[in-house]
Amino acid sequence: MQNKGKRKSMQHTLVKMWNYKWIYLMLLPVMAYYVVFKYIPMYGVTIAFKDYNVFKGVLGSPWCGLEVFQKIFKNHNFWQAIRNTMVLNLLTLLVSFPLTIIVSLMLNEVMSAKFKKITQSVLYLPHFISWVVVAGIATNLFSQQGGTVNQILSSAGISPIPFLSDKGWWIFTYVLCNVWKEIGWGTIIYLAALTGVDESLYEAAYLDGATKFQRLIYITIPSIKSVIVTMLILQISKMMTIGLDAPLLLGNKKVMGVSEVISTYTYRLGIESAKYSDSTAIGLFQSVINITILFAADKFAKAIGEDGII
Amino acid sequence: MSGNKKKKKITAGTVCNYAVLTLIAFICLYPFLNVIAYSLSGYNAVLSGKVTFYPIDFDLGAYRQILGKTQIWQAMRTTVIVTLAGTALSLILTIFSAYGLSREDLPGRKLLTGLILFTMYFGGGLIPTFLVVKGVGLYDSLGALFIPQAINVFNFIVMRTFFRSLPQSLEEAARIDGASYIKVLFKIVLPLSLPIIATIGLFYAVGYWNSYFDALLYIQDPSKYTLQLRLRSLLFGEELNNSGANLEGLGTQVMTQSLKMATVAVSTIPILVVYPWLQKYFVKGVMVGSVKG
Repeated sequence: MQNKGKRKSMQHTLVKMWNYKWIYLMLLPVMAYYVVFKYIPMYGVTIAFKDYNVFKGVLGSPWCGLEVFQKIFKNHNFWQAIRNTMVLNLLTLLVSFPLTIIVSLMLNEVMSAKFKKITQSVLYLPHFISWVVVAGIATNLFSQQGGTVNQILSSAGISPIPFLSDKGWWIFTYVLCNVWKEIGWGTIIYLAALTGVDESLYEAAYLDGATKFQRLIYITIPSIKSVIVTMLILQISKMMTIGLDAPLLLGNKKVMGVSEVISTYTYRLGIESAKYSDSTAIGLFQSVINITILFAADKFAKAIGEDGII
Repeated sequence: MSGNKKKKKITAGTVCNYAVLTLIAFICLYPFLNVIAYSLSGYNAVLSGKVTFYPIDFDLGAYRQILGKTQIWQAMRTTVIVTLAGTALSLILTIFSAYGLSREDLPGRKLLTGLILFTMYFGGGLIPTFLVVKGVGLYDSLGALFIPQAINVFNFIVMRTFFRSLPQSLEEAARIDGASYIKVLFKIVLPLSLPIIATIGLFYAVGYWNSYFDALLYIQDPSKYTLQLRLRSLLFGEELNNSGANLEGLGTQVMTQSLKMATVAVSTIPILVVYPWLQKYFVKGVMVGSVKG
């Protein structure tokens, strides 16, 4: 009896699948893409546990257990890359996170629709500029010889600042470029949340004689609190990842000690020095840390009553 | 009296708010002004370091020089080809996957969606992907610049969310009339989805236009350099080789400063031309994407 029901439901599924044959045909190239360019490379991470040999390939190279990991964990450059990744991310977050919220709140206070629109357009613009261009502009502005900023400083009698060649100043410049590029774009999500704040709350508070500042502290900020928390958790879950573009393009040999992050390190090790196993092992280590942080952040978000991020 | 005072205070705050926002907008805009000022200034003005806000001794020499370089035109052509082909492929695959996986009762939907979403959180990383791209014969070909990164999971989610929001009754009616799913897609779903297709198409196009790392990774032959890669070698080429030491004469270095900024301007203009549309659609796209599907 039960068997019969099972068979019937299976038949039903097969009929349904036949009805969907064109849909499956559409999904075929998509799945082929994912298998070839995402899942085969995932199998490729096994070279982190192998003594990779170019001639033997991924499958033919002999296993070597955790040897590669033992090697990279002993390497000073590896720990330096991890430290740099976290330092640059943390400093960027510390500056950009509050600043983005402040700018959003300021934009929200603007009454003139025209002024608001123009300002927003200008603020979003840097987001669409490639990092190559940003790095080129930054070099023109900040280089020690002939950089516009240093020329202005020197005409004011201040000696030139090595924005790009001193380690401390380089970090400053890096954070500045990142904040410049993304601050406007970051406001979008907050502005959307701010438009959802109940108007009647403001009116009630106004009638009760609340000042503008009080309304901000007691109505506006609590209303967008959950967006703020979600964004913060999302940012923190990306702490161990930096896109390769910014540090690679802004960096130079003099500041390598602070500009070499995990992504640039895996690039240099893997592509420039052809140490495939080492580079893959570092990438894998980073992925595992990322997933761990992500799950922890998600758990934390749910524990404090916010939406999860996964 | 006191009411008057209060009003005045608010006005002061508002003025301050407008002033600070204007300053921030200026800071966002200034680097672009700087680029234009440098690229249009005369040789001596750049040399003496007078250029800051606007062109001095107006001179189109840098543009004439940069537009006379075949390398730039070649790189521009490559980038246009990659952007067009890449955007087309990306859109087709994203539409197919989003349309197929928006069918709630498709057998295997959960598994296939799961396989796609999983790649957001875990991937093979740089070298394993590099080896696969090399293995399938894409190395040093333009295909390597868009085929291996054709689908963006985020865009897939946005489009699937949109397809799900379409009224089911239209599709059902067409199905009852005997239209195949392909016909439904082209005759009903796509015409209703033009705004989201434009949005996601722009997402992809800007991504391809601005991407430089894939070209750095996969392109060997300088005649296949993309615009961003060419720009990088023009901007930083010499600097990387002699570690910042200024071996050339000061004159040539300053000349290249104008030239460099003219190159920056030329490669950014296409983005600025489509910017009004970009801004309009992107903001919408971000909003849709933030509603998780």
